[in-house]
Amino acid sequence: MKNSWILGLGLVITSCQIEVDLPLAEIKGEIPVIEGVWTDNAILNEVKVTLAKNFLDQESYKIIKDSRVFIQVKGTETIIPFSYNETSQSYRPLNSDILAKVGETYELIVEWKGNVFFAEGLMLEPPILDSLTYQYEEKRPFRDEGYYIKAYGKIPFKENNYYRIQIIENDTLKNEPEDYFLFDDTFGFTFFENGLELGYAFEQDDRVRLILYRMTREPYNYLNQLLGLLFSDGGLFSPPPQNPDSNIKVVSGDSQVLGYFLVSPILSEFVLIREK
Amino acid sequence: MSSSLLKSNLIIFCLYCFSISRLYGQDAAFFKGQVLDVTNSELLPGASIYWEDEISTGVISDLNGDFQIKKEKLPRRLVISFVGFEKTIREITEKDAIKTQKFFLKPIELSLEEVIIRDRRPDEQIKNLETGKVTIPIETIKNIPALFGEVDLFRSLQLLPGVQSAGEGTGGLFVRGGSADQNLIQIDGAPVYNASHFFGFFSVFNPDALEKVDLYKGNMPASFGGRLSSLIDVSLREGNNKQIRGEGGIGTISSRFTLDGPLFSEKSTFAISARRTYADVFLRLSSNPDVKNNKLNFHDLSAKFAFRLGDKDKLTFSTYQGSDFLGLESSFGLGWSNFVNSLKWNHSYDKDAYFDLDAYHSIYNYKIEFDDPENGFEWKNQLSETGIKAQWTLLRGENLQTYWGVHSQFYHFAPVALIPASGSNIQSIDTNPKNGVLNNLFAGMTYEISPKLSTEAGLRWGIFNQIGKGVDYSYAGGIPGPDVTVTDTLNYGTFDKIKFYQGLEPRIAFRYLINPQFSIKAAYNRNFQYVQIATNSSAGLPIDRWILAGTYVPPIRSDQVSLGFFHNFNQDKWEFSVETYYKDFKNIIDLRNGASVLFTDNVETELLVGKGWAYGAEFLLRKNQGKTTGWLAYTYSRTWRQIDGVSQGQKYNPRYDRPNDLTFVLNHEFSGSWSAGLTFVYSTGQAVSFPIGSYQSDRQNVPLYSDFRNEDRYPNYHRMDASVTWRNTNKGRRWRGSWNASIYNLYGRKNPFAYTFGDVINDDIRYDSSTDGPVTSVRPGIIMTYLFTFLPSITYNFEF
Repeated sequence: MKNSWILGLGLVITSCQIEVDLPLAEIKGEIPVIEGVWTDNAILNEVKVTLAKNFLDQESYKIIKDSRVFIQVKGTETIIPFSYNETSQSYRPLNSDILAKVGETYELIVEWKGNVFFAEGLMLEPPILDSLTYQYEEKRPFRDEGYYIKAYGKIPFKENNYYRIQIIENDTLKNEPEDYFLFDDTFGFTFFENGLELGYAFEQDDRVRLILYRMTREPYNYLNQLLGLLFSDGGLFSPPPQNPDSNIKVVSGDSQVLGYFLVSPILSEFVLIREK
Repeated sequence: MSSSLLKSNLIIFCLYCFSISRLYGQDAAFFKGQVLDVTNSELLPGASIYWEDEISTGVISDLNGDFQIKKEKLPRRLVISFVGFEKTIREITEKDAIKTQKFFLKPIELSLEEVIIRDRRPDEQIKNLETGKVTIPIETIKNIPALFGEVDLFRSLQLLPGVQSAGEGTGGLFVRGGSADQNLIQIDGAPVYNASHFFGFFSVFNPDALEKVDLYKGNMPASFGGRLSSLIDVSLREGNNKQIRGEGGIGTISSRFTLDGPLFSEKSTFAISARRTYADVFLRLSSNPDVKNNKLNFHDLSAKFAFRLGDKDKLTFSTYQGSDFLGLESSFGLGWSNFVNSLKWNHSYDKDAYFDLDAYHSIYNYKIEFDDPENGFEWKNQLSETGIKAQWTLLRGENLQTYWGVHSQFYHFAPVALIPASGSNIQSIDTNPKNGVLNNLFAGMTYEISPKLSTEAGLRWGIFNQIGKGVDYSYAGGIPGPDVTVTDTLNYGTFDKIKFYQGLEPRIAFRYLINPQFSIKAAYNRNFQYVQIATNSSAGLPIDRWILAGTYVPPIRSDQVSLGFFHNFNQDKWEFSVETYYKDFKNIIDLRNGASVLFTDNVETELLVGKGWAYGAEFLLRKNQGKTTGWLAYTYSRTWRQIDGVSQGQKYNPRYDRPNDLTFVLNHEFSGSWSAGLTFVYSTGQAVSFPIGSYQSDRQNVPLYSDFRNEDRYPNYHRMDASVTWRNTNKGRRWRGSWNASIYNLYGRKNPFAYTFGDVINDDIRYDSSTDGPVTSVRPGIIMTYLFTFLPSITYNFEF
């Protein structure tokens, strides 16, 4: 919202943009980035381990392939080992039949170069996702004309109400910063029961899949802060930029670590848009 | 208010009424008079009056232009002089001394010979006791080249040493290391909570409506308080009591008009001012419907009515209303407004004793409306301050002036309300109100210990209660945090006490006069602040959340020591000063990473508390008289914060820490018709955080920042502005017009407003996937946004 105002004002006062060079500091040492997703859907379960790089480096992010990765079910001896998969360029469970179960707390452990990184997450009960509908809409304020999808469901929980929706349109994940769809219970959930309109204009014959995550506060905050950072222009009206708060801790070693560990139930619905 | 406090206030009131009553006996050894402007009968405070044969024992006329001077032997020649007016010498006989005499001074024609800043005495900076106080005459402000031609008070104040801006084009003030909410900005004694238009690009003050502006950089008298870093005391202009006069201007983005004159009789006056922008008029000319349907405007209305109730009493009523509106695509609207009223009663018991009573009410509110059938809402908030202040002033001889009084303030921060539109799917949000009562007792004195040494001492005692109606929360472990469980919700009834704080705020200053052209001053000042904004952005937004001191938010405190050297030379035409200061802050707040404070009732869970300090040296060389006037100012200053949870608990600079700050202001009168102004500013770039790297997370390329805040700097900021004014000097005409052409950023310096660190696609920073074809390359890049380069504007001003 803040950025919209500044953008609006900027249009009026003819602001300009140019590309510039600035003397930027560089990373000291290696900083691993861990992204663990553990769900009840085997396709989504993976752990990515990469390295951060200097900002202006044009090389690809280096992937760490030699870490030891596993998930342990908290309070038990059950260990779920992961191995590196070249196709997905991530670590995947050796046994893909093992999935997250509601009520269990899972601990992610990553060992790399003498460092041990640890995170945990609770598998929450999923909400109810009833159906998807769609309808053609003319151009509206802040909305282009096109087909708009509504998701209907129910969220009966009093706590841990942190949700994310991802949209896959014709096999492509909508993944621009403006595509992020995160919500909590600040504005209640009536909008979900009455039909949550997704803010994208689809076209006829589009194949659309909706994926709904429910998570605890820490990964939600991480994603929220990540989004804030992606939209930050570093200007006067923005808070000072800070890295998102990671829920991954360094339990051994002196390395810094970035990233997050998400444990979530997955709800998914598909719709093919036909002419009405 | 507690009954004990009420009782003590009454006792103080009675005691001083009694002491005042003893002053009524007249001393026949004095000759009394009043000094007025011959052109409009306006009273002239600050005029010098002395016997021609005894220059050393003169007196100064008071706020009502009145004076009294020991007469001893008569007849005798009396000299009355005032800067900008012709000196008058009149022989006073015993017969003249029977009653009060009026002395009408004739203004010096301001033409080729002299341009004199009239609002202050030439030797004021040497002789007064105030350090860190600056007065900019309104005429000077009007002569400074302006952005879009809009003469702006705050941007003029930013040209003074010790005052920093938030950034390019913005009017926020950061005084001696304090944040913007640590400035007490008041109109005729009433506070203004959001003194900006257009998100801070312009201040709410229409220059035509102003009489004078005093800036106190922390060392404020004990009669003022409640904010740590500065007092910006703005006085609205009073009307003249002779004839209807008008003035105004038609500018590039706004027009303004002021009318003043007598009201009913010579004993009462009015002055009314209005200003309105018309940016939205230009938006309507756009062929782009998305732009055409937008609205962007602001307006100001102010008025001041003054009534003289006999010789001893004066009543003034001042009012200000201003608002902004931003509308996008006819479905989104954001508006905010201030409504400020103040009523003052000035009473003179005698020439040596005065009483001032000031009652005020200030309201700030904002409203956001989103017209959408499914998610529409109205989001609004309002805060207000109501206050009453009584002050007695007593002069004991020529060496001692004392004052004392009571100032009571009631704060009401209404709940933040989000109301769904009819049929909307979102739920309403309603936080709880916050209320506070701050009672202040204050007393101070100015005492001339010797002809060379003077002192000013004061004490302010603030007694604060956060009161109901409201809600407070208990947290597990007693310390609030985002993951801490609320263990209890405490409901308080109206006026129930929630949290109590009190604090003594001593102030003391010394001035030692080495010679008539050179003085040294030292001061110490403590202030408490019980209201502040919970934000971590540098520039204020209209929706910023103001919070009161409470159970988990202690009042912030500052202690400032300052030392200054002041020198006038060349018959007071030039002033030079060096002021140094050190300032200590306690209980400064910041917000946690990703904090959200706008809708929560538990703001305290999002706050981090720490300390801060600032120090600096301010150099000012100023020329006030002659055809060429202006100043050169340089400030070296540093500002630090240290807050657990920010920057790994290490000290860091806030964004507005700018060690080197240079300003140059020049005005020159070429002739009676032509004049020109030039300003140049240079400062160290803002303290910011640039990324040290990037990483991939959630399929995004994310900038990686150091754990330490603001270790980088924007490039140094500099800019030159210029203006030329042509005036119609035909004095025979009632209508007098002038044209002002100004250029902001004369040499087109691209000063950064913001940097964006992200991907550049296809080597095109404006790449648009819908029009620019497939992606062929992606690389990291730094995009700089800059706002104003070589911005000319023209304004027509008039008066009649």
